[in-house]
Amino acid sequence: MAVTPVHIQDAVRAGDLEQYVMLTTLEKAIAWSSSNSIWPAGFGLACCAIEMMSLPSPRYDIARFGAEVFRSSPRQADLMIVSGRVSHKMAAPLRQVYDQMLQPKWVMAMGACSSSGGMFANYAILQGVDKIVPVDVHVPGCPPRPEAVVDGLLLIQKKIRAGIKPAYELEKSKA
Amino acid sequence: MSTAERAPAPVVPLYTPAQIPAGAPSKIDPPSGEDLITINFGPNHPSTHGVLRLIVTLDGEVVVGLDADIGYVHTGFEKNFEQKTYWKGIPFAPRMDYVAFFANELAYVGAVERLIGIEVPPRAQWIRTLFAELNRIHSHLIYLGTSGVELGAISLFFYCLRERDTVLDLFEMVTGVRMHDRYPQFGGVFEDLPKGFYAEARKFCKEMPKRIDEYLDLVEGNAIWRDRYRGIGTIDADTAIAMGLSGPNLRASGVPYDLRRVDPYLVYDQLQFDVITGENGDAFDRLMCRTKEMYESVKLIEQCLDSIPDGPVMADDRRYVLPPRNELHTSMESLIHHFKLVTEGFRPPAGELYYAVESPRGEFGCYLVSDGSPKPWRIHFRAPSFVSLQVTAMMAHRRYIADLIAIVGSLDGVMGEADR
Amino acid sequence: MNAAELAEALERAVPGAVVAHADGIDMPTLTVTGEHLLAVCRELRDAHGRNFLSAVSAVDNLGYGEAVAGYYGTERGRDINLTGSWGAPVTAELPSTRFKVVYHLARVGDGPPDRVRVQVLLEDGDSVPSVVGVWPTADWHEREQYDLMGIEFTGHPNLRRLIMPSDWAGHPLRKDYPIGGEPVQFTDDV
Repeated sequence: MAVTPVHIQDAVRAGDLEQYVMLTTLEKAIAWSSSNSIWPAGFGLACCAIEMMSLPSPRYDIARFGAEVFRSSPRQADLMIVSGRVSHKMAAPLRQVYDQMLQPKWVMAMGACSSSGGMFANYAILQGVDKIVPVDVHVPGCPPRPEAVVDGLLLIQKKIRAGIKPAYELEKSKA
Repeated sequence: MSTAERAPAPVVPLYTPAQIPAGAPSKIDPPSGEDLITINFGPNHPSTHGVLRLIVTLDGEVVVGLDADIGYVHTGFEKNFEQKTYWKGIPFAPRMDYVAFFANELAYVGAVERLIGIEVPPRAQWIRTLFAELNRIHSHLIYLGTSGVELGAISLFFYCLRERDTVLDLFEMVTGVRMHDRYPQFGGVFEDLPKGFYAEARKFCKEMPKRIDEYLDLVEGNAIWRDRYRGIGTIDADTAIAMGLSGPNLRASGVPYDLRRVDPYLVYDQLQFDVITGENGDAFDRLMCRTKEMYESVKLIEQCLDSIPDGPVMADDRRYVLPPRNELHTSMESLIHHFKLVTEGFRPPAGELYYAVESPRGEFGCYLVSDGSPKPWRIHFRAPSFVSLQVTAMMAHRRYIADLIAIVGSLDGVMGEADR
Repeated sequence: MNAAELAEALERAVPGAVVAHADGIDMPTLTVTGEHLLAVCRELRDAHGRNFLSAVSAVDNLGYGEAVAGYYGTERGRDINLTGSWGAPVTAELPSTRFKVVYHLARVGDGPPDRVRVQVLLEDGDSVPSVVGVWPTADWHEREQYDLMGIEFTGHPNLRRLIMPSDWAGHPLRKDYPIGGEPVQFTDDV
């Protein structure tokens, strides 16, 4: 039904403006739009990277969640998906890439190795990437199925829409 | 050897092929001069080969110096294997070369089986061969897709991923997981093939050659692809052998060396397939070798489906093989046996051996030293990507930087196995 | 050619090089001295066609056989408190040196690989000549073994750490280097 200014004035007087116009708060609008356009910076390290590569594939298609474009530059990305085991040598570049991302930014620890060191409790692997960056979502699995990673992405979307602050605001020590 | 005085080591002249630069073969020291810029292809870069760091010195767009820095995904696999019993080490094996995971498992499990001298029943051998070829297709699909992404031809990536999901469906149907199945076990395979597998696999074998034709259409017929790959990263046969290349990297230079043919393992001596070689040893030939190998793999899978014999999928040697699970409910001895094998592990004889398989990347070898205890004493994996990354320098010397990306991609290296 | 024939052929070409030979489970194994290693390698490459070096591996023998339960009647005796102490109890032959460096060679061409294993026995602190001049592929293999095991390869043009960060202390694959990681509750040796 076409909406003209006359209708809106009538609706305001009658008190049912919601029939014609969607009202929301600024925070909710921003949260809705940012949750539907999370651009991942795929930090593909090991096996989980191969499962992460199949996220934009025709079957698991994260383009429907707005997250298809994996930006190569951290400056253009919102979500860092740490997919794979983080060695001590890689920890410094990882933190550097995280620091280059602009706020608001989220981190998903994909897989067991980035969540907690996985099956590698040894001298070479950082026992969990949350030792150096604040993590929003941990996705378990070795490697997690693409559906599980999509579930993690949806959890981040829910988190954003619920108004919960990203993890670096909650863990000031690591931010 | 004692630590007393000894004569200094003689200086040995470098191996003859002129292509190998003087000094360290796998590094090129940049010449001195102004207007040279050293840039860092950091460990995190968009070309999807994992974490490789190249320190490249450029004169304009031409590469005049290159040094590779690896180790960013070093996981300490070899030390982890020493801490676990042999059976508990099986899940570690596929995570090295995470794209061709089945070949890693075959190498480790095959090495231990040869050490303990256990005979694998024929049905299990045929099943393992079938999955090895499926894994070869999986690896080459990922290679094709990512080499497209590197050149900017992103549509090929989506086609390859579509097929890759079909291959992983077959893995999942039989083993329960898409990647990193713990399917080869000492003495056979974990479980038998389920009903419905043959139908799905035959459907796949009928569809796959048509898809490979599609890929070849996209690649071979594309003038841009040919221009960017022909004549790039050329290596002749002698240099390739001297630098330790194997697999499609070596066969593209014309050397018909395929471990499945010259040193057959599993049931490859009973199967018909062609060994695909190239002529020029450039990146395009490597690409063609890998793509045409996918046709051969489909043929091999069909032959396996036609000829898998019936029988048990696990050997009956209870010294090393876990009892079947249904026995654990009724037999106390089986329960104790299972407990002992899982917690303490079996004791192989002391000794050492080297067992190599033809992984999609080349010769993947497992050097195993046992001291008779339930844990391996030393395991060293010979990873083909580790070796093939060494030729990046000589291939990229005096080439444009865009060709450097194409070269690194055409060698099909996986950093997980290069760093281990 | 089996190990004895190869050892004989090498003895004619490089006298005093081969100190032991055996037909291992899978391929002939020759033990050579470090001084003659380069000559033996060149002879194997040129006269016996082994043009392909598969891998260079170093093995640390500190504590070899200590986790094996042993056998009744031997000097060491049997310790039933070690894991895996049931089964066929055989005491492994103790190696004579702390380290050994093992080279796996093959023949790449038209035919079977005819693999050969060449090993050099070393003590801690000894060095071994680099075979980069014979098979250039040894470059990174030797760097990796230097990095992880601490074995020095003399004559290597670029011997520095490859896998571990360049400022790492220690050689991780040695047996006296701990496995590392975080302590996890309720774990034991098995």
